[in-house]
Amino acid sequence: MTADISVRNLVKHYLVPVREGGLRASIKGVFKRRHRRVRAVDGISFEVAKGEIVGFLGPNGAGKTTALKVLSGLLYPTDGEVAVLGHTPWQRRRDFLSRMTLIMGQRQQLFWDLPGIDTFLVNKAVFGLDEPTFESSFNLLSEMLELGDLLYKPVRQLSLGERMKSELAAGLLHSPSVLFLDEPTLGLDVTMQQRIRQFIKDYNAATGATILLTSHYMADVKALAERVIVIDQGRVLYDGLLQGLVESYAPHKTITLHFEQPVDVKDLERYGEVERIDDLQFRVKTAKDAAPGATARLLADLPVADLSVEDPALEDVIDQVFRTAAE
Amino acid sequence: MRQILVGFAAFTRSELANLFQYRAMMFLYALWDVINPIIYLIVWSLVAGERQISGFSRDDFVMYYLVFMVVSHLALAIEVYTFGPLIERGQLSPRLLRPIHPWWHAAAVNISYKVVNLIMLIPVWIGLFLVLRPAFPGDWMTVALFVPALAAAVVLSFLVGSLFAMLAFWTTRSFSFWQIWTSLLFLLGGQVAPVAVLPGFVRDVAVALPARYALGFPVEVVLGQLDAGELVMGFAMQAGWIALAALAFAFVWRSGIKRYSAVGA
Repeated sequence: MTADISVRNLVKHYLVPVREGGLRASIKGVFKRRHRRVRAVDGISFEVAKGEIVGFLGPNGAGKTTALKVLSGLLYPTDGEVAVLGHTPWQRRRDFLSRMTLIMGQRQQLFWDLPGIDTFLVNKAVFGLDEPTFESSFNLLSEMLELGDLLYKPVRQLSLGERMKSELAAGLLHSPSVLFLDEPTLGLDVTMQQRIRQFIKDYNAATGATILLTSHYMADVKALAERVIVIDQGRVLYDGLLQGLVESYAPHKTITLHFEQPVDVKDLERYGEVERIDDLQFRVKTAKDAAPGATARLLADLPVADLSVEDPALEDVIDQVFRTAAE
Repeated sequence: MRQILVGFAAFTRSELANLFQYRAMMFLYALWDVINPIIYLIVWSLVAGERQISGFSRDDFVMYYLVFMVVSHLALAIEVYTFGPLIERGQLSPRLLRPIHPWWHAAAVNISYKVVNLIMLIPVWIGLFLVLRPAFPGDWMTVALFVPALAAAVVLSFLVGSLFAMLAFWTTRSFSFWQIWTSLLFLLGGQVAPVAVLPGFVRDVAVALPARYALGFPVEVVLGQLDAGELVMGFAMQAGWIALAALAFAFVWRSGIKRYSAVGA
């Protein structure tokens, strides 16, 4: 498979002014400015194959958005090589810009005081879409995102979710083959999150587009990405299958138990770490290898009414990745 | 090129629609373009009285500032207010993602602003001309020369305005630098006084600097105040300053965009 996105040792540092608080520091700052070098992205490398959906994960300030901005041509890197669709992004060639999009989960390209349709007509002109192409793309997006008459209301009167749907549609009107999605479901309610997620999935299936997405909602990542790249402090901590991440960083399972009658906690403690929910319900965190044996013994020895065995929440796994890296 | 023009036309249409949302605000801005020259018109008319100042009679001052009113509106640079903040707030990002240079959008904003205001200003201008009825000292030749002089002033003004706006790549206080240019326009561009009226040494400086060519020069042209030598020299200076500003524009854009940090967006 060919790589649509190729990143080699990407570095992006910023110089930010620093000064202490107070008047004295302000006056000193007039004569002498101090700067601090922020290593937003500090030597990351990865490839994304054509048609792949990859989740880009990391805490706030990890460098995800900065990396996406470099990849979409908004920022010049400090060092490193990047090729997206065979182009160097920051040269911003017409062919490159016409085949990719960056969509961020906040107010972006829509004309604030005008109905969304006006932005669509501008994009139609600047991307050079002919009438049939525009019509078919517009109708497809309207249908998939259920836009209805949203595009005929001034953008400032739309709700956050409605605006996000309009932003997505405006960013995809030119049918890009590479999508950079930065927190596409940020601030949306659960229903709208699911709808956007399904849309991204359908768009990928229908067009074979390559998608790199960041999200703080693990549900987004679980629903969309088989592969994840975890970064922190500008460096890649993990790059591989999502399932592999769980296996590598969460070598335990959680057994949730519902008993017919109260049991002694001590009887559970020999299987692992116990969390009491109420008199009849408990959670036991046990080593992954020991889980099948523990389950069998619990069923045999105790009055179990119901039992389930689960991997830990993805949030906990990611947290474990960062803690391991910090150690 | 066709693609650029199609895009530019689309930007202009949407910006016009956008500006029509703020008719009252636009009218207040436009009003200043009228009031400001009227103040100079009244002051110089009173100062001149029945005598002449450096060859300008009271009627000449009235005519000068009436035409100046039109030129100063058409050659107004607004990029420090419209484009600079986009850089400072990271809002340039969506414009950088479109396959057309962001300055085409900025040019569309500039033109739309002037077109919308013209709708309000033209009746005001006609009214003032009818009320004051100054004698027009030019002829068809000066009117013909006025067109390229005005076009060049508009282009030069846009380029200079853009250069100052792009200082926002380096500083969050680009407005303070902009004061340098507005002061030059005020003192040496033909605003506080026609350049011909300025004292000898100051006039020589005004003739050499770009401010006059972005503002007062077209007024001097249409009113027939310049002889053939001064006209040739004036157009040559306009062309020279435009070339220099265009080179600086290209250089500053290329350097500035490398520093763009897309903060917050």
